Amino acid sequence: MEAAEDWLVESLRLYQDFHAFDLSGATRVLEWIGDKGVFVAEYENLKKNEILHLILPLRLSVKENQGLFPERDFKVCHGGFSDTSVFDLKHVPDTRLLVTTGLPGSYLHVWQITEDSDVIQAVSTIAVQEKEDSLWPRVAIFSSTTPGVLHGVRLSSLRVVDLESQKTTYTSGVSDSEELSSLQVLDTNTFAFCCASGRLGLVDIRQKWAPSENVSNGRGGPGTAGGRWCAEVGGKVRSPGPSVAILGSNGQLCLLDPRDLCHPVSSVQCLVSAPSPDPELLRVTWAPGLDNCLAISGFDGMVQVYDTTSWDGMGSQVEPLFTHRGHIFLEGNQTDTTPLVTTHTWHPHKPRTLLSAASDASLHVWDWVDMHASS
Amino acid sequence: MPEIRVTPLGAGQDVGRSCILVSIAGKNVMLDCGMHMGFNDDRRFPDFSYITRNGRLTDFLDCVIISHFHLDHCGALPYFSEMVGYDGPIYMTHPTQAICPILLEDYRKIAVDKKGEANFFTSQMIKDCMKKVVAVHLHQTVQVDDELEIKAYYAGHVLGAAMFQIKVGSESVVYTGDYNMTPDRHLGAAWIDKCRPNLLITESTYATTIRDSKRCRERDFLKKVHEAVERGGKVLIPVFALGRAQELCILLETFWERMNLKAPIYFSTGLTEKANHYYKLFITWTNQKIRKTFVQRNMFEFKHIKAFDRAFADNPGPMVVFATPGMLHAGQSLQIFRKWAGNEKNMVIMPGYCVQGTVGHKILSGQRKLEMEGRQVLEVKMQVEYMSFSAHADAKGIMQLVGQAEPESVLLVHGEAKKMEFLKQKIEQEFRVNCYMPANGETVTLPTSPSIPVGISLGLLKREMAQGLLPDVKKPRLLHGTLIMKDSNFRLVSSEQALKELGLAEHQLRFTCRVHLHDPRKEQEMAVRVYSHLKSVLKDHCVQHLPDGSVTVESILIQAAAHSEDPGTKVLLVSWTYQDEELGSYLTSLLKKGLPQASS
Repeated sequence: MEAAEDWLVESLRLYQDFHAFDLSGATRVLEWIGDKGVFVAEYENLKKNEILHLILPLRLSVKENQGLFPERDFKVCHGGFSDTSVFDLKHVPDTRLLVTTGLPGSYLHVWQITEDSDVIQAVSTIAVQEKEDSLWPRVAIFSSTTPGVLHGVRLSSLRVVDLESQKTTYTSGVSDSEELSSLQVLDTNTFAFCCASGRLGLVDIRQKWAPSENVSNGRGGPGTAGGRWCAEVGGKVRSPGPSVAILGSNGQLCLLDPRDLCHPVSSVQCLVSAPSPDPELLRVTWAPGLDNCLAISGFDGMVQVYDTTSWDGMGSQVEPLFTHRGHIFLEGNQTDTTPLVTTHTWHPHKPRTLLSAASDASLHVWDWVDMHASS
Repeated sequence: MPEIRVTPLGAGQDVGRSCILVSIAGKNVMLDCGMHMGFNDDRRFPDFSYITRNGRLTDFLDCVIISHFHLDHCGALPYFSEMVGYDGPIYMTHPTQAICPILLEDYRKIAVDKKGEANFFTSQMIKDCMKKVVAVHLHQTVQVDDELEIKAYYAGHVLGAAMFQIKVGSESVVYTGDYNMTPDRHLGAAWIDKCRPNLLITESTYATTIRDSKRCRERDFLKKVHEAVERGGKVLIPVFALGRAQELCILLETFWERMNLKAPIYFSTGLTEKANHYYKLFITWTNQKIRKTFVQRNMFEFKHIKAFDRAFADNPGPMVVFATPGMLHAGQSLQIFRKWAGNEKNMVIMPGYCVQGTVGHKILSGQRKLEMEGRQVLEVKMQVEYMSFSAHADAKGIMQLVGQAEPESVLLVHGEAKKMEFLKQKIEQEFRVNCYMPANGETVTLPTSPSIPVGISLGLLKREMAQGLLPDVKKPRLLHGTLIMKDSNFRLVSSEQALKELGLAEHQLRFTCRVHLHDPRKEQEMAVRVYSHLKSVLKDHCVQHLPDGSVTVESILIQAAAHSEDPGTKVLLVSWTYQDEELGSYLTSLLKKGLPQASS
């Protein structure tokens, strides 16, 4: 009680806005639809897991006269039930369709947000080529007039399936059995993959498999340090420089330039007290509204924001620009174990607003105050 | 009539006017009688013509129940009882009875004085209406008549808010009114036992929301106050005398020291008196069990909060003032507002809904120039903040309450069915109950199967068991006995015991039938022939030839006699008791067919 109240007073100067919600079940998904809606989904075994389409509180969406809007609640706009656990969800842009993946990993599920009611309905499934017991396929969407679903468990099973016809339009065609940890579509023809080992590549689907990678001949890359890795390629329209961030379960973070992946621009050690207890939850995201800023989570109950502007060299320890500790201090269910942040995401256009979710089913929306900014 | 019927009344789907009609086992109850604040005409009242088109409401309704003092639950009560016409009992909790008339009078003043409404209920009508009120205590079973009983449960939300259980025999309905499942600082949270009603009726308004935590709402309030005070501004918080003010005072008091703030906090004098009144209501309303559910402290004694004097409003420097009335429509809060509105460092925080026509409503709509009396224009430069502190249950809260009460079915009012399909599925799935969502004016009929408990006598039970057949859980067992109904008590006993208890003698009914047969032989030979015939035909029955010449089949007696006039005809007298009717009839028709021509 005391600690929570102390933190609340602290929070007055740390955050502009702060909202805390209790979902009925923890989520590993925070996927935007437009700039006013997000999807969350439960991931438990042996139960009906909810998939929810939530509309942001009005207070967070209005641009002017915020003070006149007392609405602070999320609205459940649509909901559906999944028999399998949902580990990731992708919205197919410009459609009412969603694709989910999780365990068991033999199928991807396609859903539709119904128009005249509030139900999210299952419409079809996409069979996964290689079925594995404990691995689940990563998913990314090629959006176009005929959307394609990029998915795979390993590099060898990577393929793109046309959503409507269910025909395979692309396969990696390699026999490499390295396990994937993330997939990201960059534009109509390219995607990035990151393997659990830290091997990262950028692929052009118009060509036969010839990605530019951060390893050569199977050697090099951050994977030599061990651990499990994930990555994100930043939007980077404004300034040149490193736009690929690759995060390891031991807290190491490498920044790479897409033009020369083999030679990292910088490699730092983030301020984490212990390696991630569940490396599948590792997440690194670039801020869409702040230059050179990124956020990491998946090590503990915190989300850390870093400014990478002055990073150079290898191996230096870095301090976060901001640390969100809300999930630790505002424990919803009063359990003994501290919650673990399962995922986080940046608001599409409010520069310092993030959403984060934790294993205790809490969901926070926070807008942190930049102490270093000259006002 | 084993069914329960529910009809939410009124037009419009949005929150604003709660009024639900329930018919349970022949009793008719009206739940709440709210006003829709958004309309200025008849649309603000529920449509009472649904109740009965011709008859008198007093004759039709057994009682009216009001859940709490918010106007969207009781605002139409004086109109209903005095202008439409109802003289029966109106049930509500003690605090609700104390606070309702104050709110109704306030509202009446605004409507008539500020908005110039003509056809509105008068002060006298409010008084007359309140005379019909019967106040109830929490968890007290109240007999409305010898069949209908009601019981109030703690709902949190506001002082005096209750959830009501309505019971007739073994059928019951629980109506939640407004409630919250996460505790408030001074009111705690709703609680109900596993009463397993046939139906739970609740609002759907917040069912599709996920509420921001209490902590974050409070944080926002503290942040705003802090910011204003830090820049030297004055903060005005208009409050209704009873309720929200306490909550906010506790909040500020708790954090003032932690935040190391020196600015004074004032409570206007009118509020202090009312706070004492509020405290008394509060202490008698809640009980030990409820008070244990929230922070223990004397929330009516404050260290940092002092009594306000109107002269202080002109003091330099920052300060925070709580003043009435809550919608800035008159009195001290409006006076202070006028003094402080012109300075952009100052702030006004509106903690609740403001009725149309009040200054509060205008500034919350974004108006920055207000026309006051005497054509004076007031420019509002101060910061206007609208905050919502009312405690409501959300999707999660509803699931918690359903889990506590364990109803057979759930009914959600005031929502669009299409927009709540997911919630319906969720409730049906999680609790395996039916979920109904009627539109306003639509009636939902729930079939119920009321169970009638019947006591069975030990003797009867033993006799049944002695028959030796093992009971089969899947098949119903046929039991013969006598049902005695006395004083709503049902007992099943053996016939002998019933006769004994009632002091009656058992009558034996015996039927005798004459069958005429052509047979010149003697009666004795006839009897033998009858015996042989029946013995061969009725292999499953006990057929005997008695020494006196009569034949018995089980307990049926057949005697042969000569016809008095015709020696060629013999008469068979077949006689049986009422219990052997079937066999007796069968035997008679068999014998009428005649005897075979075989030799004896």
